[in-house]
Amino acid sequence: MRKADEQGFREFAAANAASLRRTAYLFCGDWHTAEDLMQSSLMKMYLAWKRIKGLDNLIAYARKVLLRTWLDEKRRPWRRAEQRDGELPDAADERVDPDHTSAKLWARELVHTALLQVPPRQRAVLVLRYFEDLSVAEVAVAMGCSEGTVKSQTARGLATLRTIVEKLDSSSGRVAS
Amino acid sequence: MSEQEIREGMLLAVWDEPPLDFDPDALMRRAEQKKSRRRALVSVGVATALIVVSAFALPGLLPKTGDDDQIAARRTESSAPTSTESPNARSVRIGDALAAKLQTVRRELRDVSAYVQPGMQVVQGTSTTKPPSPGSAPDPSLSGYVYLTDDIGPTALLLTTTSTPKSSRLECIGAVTCKEMPVDDGSKIIEAEYLDGTSTVVRAVSTRVFESGYTVKLSAFTTNPATGSGLRAQLPVSVDVLTTMLTDGRIRWE
Repeated sequence: MRKADEQGFREFAAANAASLRRTAYLFCGDWHTAEDLMQSSLMKMYLAWKRIKGLDNLIAYARKVLLRTWLDEKRRPWRRAEQRDGELPDAADERVDPDHTSAKLWARELVHTALLQVPPRQRAVLVLRYFEDLSVAEVAVAMGCSEGTVKSQTARGLATLRTIVEKLDSSSGRVAS
Repeated sequence: MSEQEIREGMLLAVWDEPPLDFDPDALMRRAEQKKSRRRALVSVGVATALIVVSAFALPGLLPKTGDDDQIAARRTESSAPTSTESPNARSVRIGDALAAKLQTVRRELRDVSAYVQPGMQVVQGTSTTKPPSPGSAPDPSLSGYVYLTDDIGPTALLLTTTSTPKSSRLECIGAVTCKEMPVDDGSKIIEAEYLDGTSTVVRAVSTRVFESGYTVKLSAFTTNPATGSGLRAQLPVSVDVLTTMLTDGRIRWE
């Protein structure tokens, strides 16, 4: 690869690595896996950089690669091997750190528990629409499906998420809004 | 739970993001390694496929008829006779060919025959027996006589071959005439005639030196070299006849 292309990729990767990792975290719910997904996606983009460097919206392409990388990873047998048993030992205690407000802890719970129970493609639609703030058309491009499918997946995902959150709230005593 | 709450919840969910330790250069290096590994894997795969395809395809493509095999066997036999021919058979073949050639060139001669045997066992005027040591490499040298009878009486020509050539200058030492001629196959002929101190030629030698260094020498004397007797006034055959015998294309020397 030429020096100019390498510099272009370097700048793109440095500018977008963090946002891609955040999106990947909302997909998978784990920062380590999110970092792996982000690096795998950027590596795929580097190998195809000569072909894709002229695209108008590179970050949209990067999100598409990230989503497909995550869906591919989920299909792999060794990704299904981990079976969690019981409570996580490293749960945050809000009394120790004043910054750990109840809202933040609830948000983490939202991701760790509620969002991760939503089916993968519905979860992806919710993340792209409400976290990345993409339009229905942009989500359709990223998902490789029609806009109608995006709308129906969004509606189903929201319904599933609300059901799970209500269950969480009722079990924890929090009033669902 | 409204869409706005979901949006805020997702933004809050990443508030405790761990610091990002990302090096684009390291990622690019890993990508290059991956690319070269993939290329090597593809090369190995293609090479393996070619070998497998060749292994299965070649036996079917090669001719397997019995006639072809026989022709190939015959070609091999004719092009490399010495590889399978025993030393004794070779000496007999060469001796017979020399005798036949001499009879062709000099039809007036009678009782033309040859006795050639492997190894340097013949010395002019006498005979020694020195069998080759067991286990040693096959000795390509031959020695023997081509017997003939002319109007004067019986006599012989001396044949010796060796794989250790002498310089053409050494061949010419003491010769009254000595000339060197090239042969079409790359070998050369050295013709030399020797006097006995008078004006009579008592010995004529024709030597053929091959490119490999293999040397064949055929000599005619005024005495019978096989017995050391039978002195005559002139040589039984001239040096030209010796050269004609040595350069006969039907005789495979090496």
